[in-house]
Amino acid sequence: MVGYILNLLILVSISGILAGSLNFIIGYAGIYSMAHAAFFGVSAYTAALIAMNLSTSLLVAIPAAMAICAALSLVISLPSLRVRGEYFVVASLGLQQIAFTVFSEWKDVTGGLGGITGVPVATLFGYKLRSLGSMLTVSLVCLALVTLVIYVLVRTSFGRNLKAIRDNEVAASAFGKNATAIKTIAVAISSALCGIAGVLYAFHVSFVNPESFTVDASVLIMAMIIIGGTGTVFGPILGALIIHLLPAGLTYLTFLPARELASLQQIIYGAAMVLLMIYRPSGLIGRSNVKDTWTR
Amino acid sequence: MSEAPVLRLKGVNKRFGGVVAANDVDLDLPGGVVTALVGPNGAGKTTLFNLITGNLKPDSGLIELRGRSLAGIEPRGAALAGIARSFQDLRLFEQMTVFENVLSVMERSALPWQPGGRAAANARREKADATIAQVGLTNWRDARAIDLGYAEQKFLSLARILVTDASLWLLDEPASGLDPASYERFVKLVRGRLSEGITICLIEHNLDIVHGISDRIAFLDQGTVLAAGEPRAILNDPKLAAIYFGERR
Repeated sequence: MVGYILNLLILVSISGILAGSLNFIIGYAGIYSMAHAAFFGVSAYTAALIAMNLSTSLLVAIPAAMAICAALSLVISLPSLRVRGEYFVVASLGLQQIAFTVFSEWKDVTGGLGGITGVPVATLFGYKLRSLGSMLTVSLVCLALVTLVIYVLVRTSFGRNLKAIRDNEVAASAFGKNATAIKTIAVAISSALCGIAGVLYAFHVSFVNPESFTVDASVLIMAMIIIGGTGTVFGPILGALIIHLLPAGLTYLTFLPARELASLQQIIYGAAMVLLMIYRPSGLIGRSNVKDTWTR
Repeated sequence: MSEAPVLRLKGVNKRFGGVVAANDVDLDLPGGVVTALVGPNGAGKTTLFNLITGNLKPDSGLIELRGRSLAGIEPRGAALAGIARSFQDLRLFEQMTVFENVLSVMERSALPWQPGGRAAANARREKADATIAQVGLTNWRDARAIDLGYAEQKFLSLARILVTDASLWLLDEPASGLDPASYERFVKLVRGRLSEGITICLIEHNLDIVHGISDRIAFLDQGTVLAAGEPRAILNDPKLAAIYFGERR
């Protein structure tokens, strides 16, 4: 039971990093990317390959994965960020599909649909993170660091530039802001932070295959943000917690037919999203985006 | 007035399909004065602003800022060249506070830091606060732009212009919808900056406001500058008045 809870909390931490890093561009810059799972996958494969061929140290895998994700995001975002709004969503969806195809078809490197198995245990300062407790500690520290980085960044001039572009890109450009450069840097930071989650995931499950990095995963990460609250620092973590605890909680409702649990989960997710959009469109801890007549 | 104009438009044309938005426009904006663009709806006034700031590209013609061609310029380039513009629909950064709206205008670097370090950052913050006080929004400093009343939003839009170092201001209906007291305050703020060498061009429909604030008027209709000169001469021209109030030529 303890192992189950620890495992759940590790996954919540990893998802919290994923959701927080995606929220950095969705919530603060208004860049709706459907390709976050692609970067998650790239970093997970990077970590797995480094661990099996070079080093199991997180101090090697994390910087390498962050750098590769950031570099890849630059290559992709420089042309695609010139388009706005829904056009970028479509462009990122295409990228997600390309990434999935590469993961599943580049068999020599990724192992194809079978993936890469037997990823060795991660090490940190020579210490093997063999126990769930040590992995959870590292995951929580990473989550805290990522959250701190985002918390600080959104309060700097860079954060204000992101919000200005999100609120009105035409006005931001009219005041001399280089919207394309700001968005490109934001996507690179977001992808690099996402890379941390991929590394932790690969070492935690000791197995990576394309199934974990589909468009469904991108949608799920987005759902975490929407549920928790876009444009808030702690909302995505709350969203990750709910998304992971909901199915876990459902298993304790013994009166539910076990065979229908998965379907019920989907129905409850869907219903929760609909209700949330009606009653809390800005998420559980998000502030309303509409005019607040009561503050006047 | 005999000095070279700050902004010169020469033979500027712009068509949207069959619609002529700018028809061989010649217009000079002399330095240190307020020029009002007047004309009926659809005359092409906002189009001219969009052509000057690079939001639209002219089909032909020349636009020069202090003798330097603005051909091919992007909106960001226009801002860096010293042109600040406001929008008819304000285009505030709605979810940001009043303070953030004003401060952010001065933060142009795309990098996660701005040049000049802490001293420059403090100077920007002080300037933002001083500008907010100047337009009378200190009490709303930490309120989101979206939560402000209409007049306050108008003054926030003006504050974002005031805080820039731009020498040419293009103001699109900046005073529409203001009550008389707010309007007086607006005129004082705008005209108060002329002594610093600022050149202002504004679009306005209220002719009382135009008369009260401008030194020159350019009258546009169907993309053509029909007349430009002293406010009294333009506003008293019965032919122009007929066009303005809906009687076609």
